Amino acid sequence: MTGHPDTGEKSGRAEPTRRGRGRGEALNRLVLVCSLPLFFGLWELISRSGVVNVILFPPPSTVLVALFNWLQSGQLLIDFGMSLSRVVVGFVLGAILGAVIGVLTGRYTLISNFLSPVFQLLRPIPPIAFVPIVILWFGLGEIGKYFLVFWGVFFTVWVSAHLGVQRVDDKLVRAARVLGTPENRMLREILLPGALPYIFVGLRTSVSISFYTLVAAELAGTFSGLAYRIDIAQQNLQMGQMMGGLVMLGVISAAADKLFAVFAQKVVWWS
Amino acid sequence: MQSRTRHAAARPADESIAGGAIGIDNVSIIFGEGEASFIAVDRVSAEIAAGEFVCILGPSGCGKSTLLNAIAGLETASSGRISVDGTTVTGPSADRGMVFQQPALFPWKSVRKNVAYGPRMSGHGDAEADRTADRLLEMVGLAAFANKRPQTLSGGMQQRVAIARALANTPRILLMDEPFGALDAQTRAMMQENLLQIWHELGITVVFVTHDVDEAIFLADRILVMSAGPGRFVREIAVTIPRPRSPEVAIDPRFVEVKRQSLEIIRRESARAFDQQMKSALS
Repeated sequence: MTGHPDTGEKSGRAEPTRRGRGRGEALNRLVLVCSLPLFFGLWELISRSGVVNVILFPPPSTVLVALFNWLQSGQLLIDFGMSLSRVVVGFVLGAILGAVIGVLTGRYTLISNFLSPVFQLLRPIPPIAFVPIVILWFGLGEIGKYFLVFWGVFFTVWVSAHLGVQRVDDKLVRAARVLGTPENRMLREILLPGALPYIFVGLRTSVSISFYTLVAAELAGTFSGLAYRIDIAQQNLQMGQMMGGLVMLGVISAAADKLFAVFAQKVVWWS
Repeated sequence: MQSRTRHAAARPADESIAGGAIGIDNVSIIFGEGEASFIAVDRVSAEIAAGEFVCILGPSGCGKSTLLNAIAGLETASSGRISVDGTTVTGPSADRGMVFQQPALFPWKSVRKNVAYGPRMSGHGDAEADRTADRLLEMVGLAAFANKRPQTLSGGMQQRVAIARALANTPRILLMDEPFGALDAQTRAMMQENLLQIWHELGITVVFVTHDVDEAIFLADRILVMSAGPGRFVREIAVTIPRPRSPEVAIDPRFVEVKRQSLEIIRRESARAFDQQMKSALS
């Protein structure tokens, strides 16, 4: 684009490349469009070919029927709602608390010295390892599920907020100081917005974490939910239902991730 | 321009109320402690009059930025005293604006909100701060870019926003730390002229740090030449080239004469600093 307009030779050479790029793009799009149908087609074919046990490895059509029955029974909506509520409650609590405490420990050494050693000790413990103890503490009710998701989210968000505040560009802090920012407004005016991009990276990671913690929580014992349904279907050898459960988990967590990405784009538009 | 004399005493009384005189009294700035300590600025003294344009000229690492930071209040003098209009500097203040080598604009704020930041911090309402911002953006020729994100602007434009942002607090003093160092030659020349115009309009004190001899001569009333290891003022050069100055003064015989003098001093000083470094390295 920066070439001189008077070099006809250059633009002449650019022409075939552009056409070539057009052909390449069409091919790319075609492959993209074919990807999923090809995947499901192959799956259907292999399942029905007799090479594998069709009971254990049902074709997508069977999964679709199972999903439809699940929906029609009204149970899907309940399972979906229960799972979503667990993720949302645990995530929101963990995110808010993690961000607030992370900003405080990142900003004030005294608070950090008090809390960081404890958090660093607890953070590496996988939330799933807490399942047995949580059942004893909270039983099979909702609180235990909230707690597990919260546990998974909290530390991730805490670390990202803590580091985020500490990594705010020093140039910006100095600029703010010479512009007359009082110390007590530095956090809100500069450190918080400066740390926000880091916090959002942590939050997005936490979206996936909260879903896998949810699965562990539901498998451990509950009375509804997407992962619970997979567990029940296994006991009845309903392979279609099980795979349908997987599909639903995939869809909901992918949708949550995408939604979050859009939300993040809106909030931290500058990064 | 004639009224812009170098001595505060000679200024009309109403102008001296505006203030902006800087006193640097035997200031040393030492980093670290004991064996590992490093003297960045060594017993430096200078008086800068209100409304004066002073350049501090010296090689990289001579401590000129450290001294400027100390005037801004970002650095504390280990000994000696820095004062503004007789009051000792103890920290940053809105009456001393500063422009850094990098624009350091807040990426989460629009150009207008960046400039409005200072007035907002000093308690002005949003609407009033925005009006001040728009006025200053007009002054630096960026009124049309008020709603843009800073990242979408060129380096020169960003630095002009940074200047507008520093001026929005109506400071008595503008401190500039090699603000045009990262810009290309044409943009730099334009920015220098623009800065002189702004300085002329506002009548504030400017302390401008640079390692570029031509830049210092073009801008300054007076050049304080600083040497490295440890940082000291070694010479003071008065630049009597009349104002307004246009880029053509670079071929004016007076300009050439000041430049010849300055280069001679700098060459002597760098040779001396180099010898000293060699000696201390060998010992």
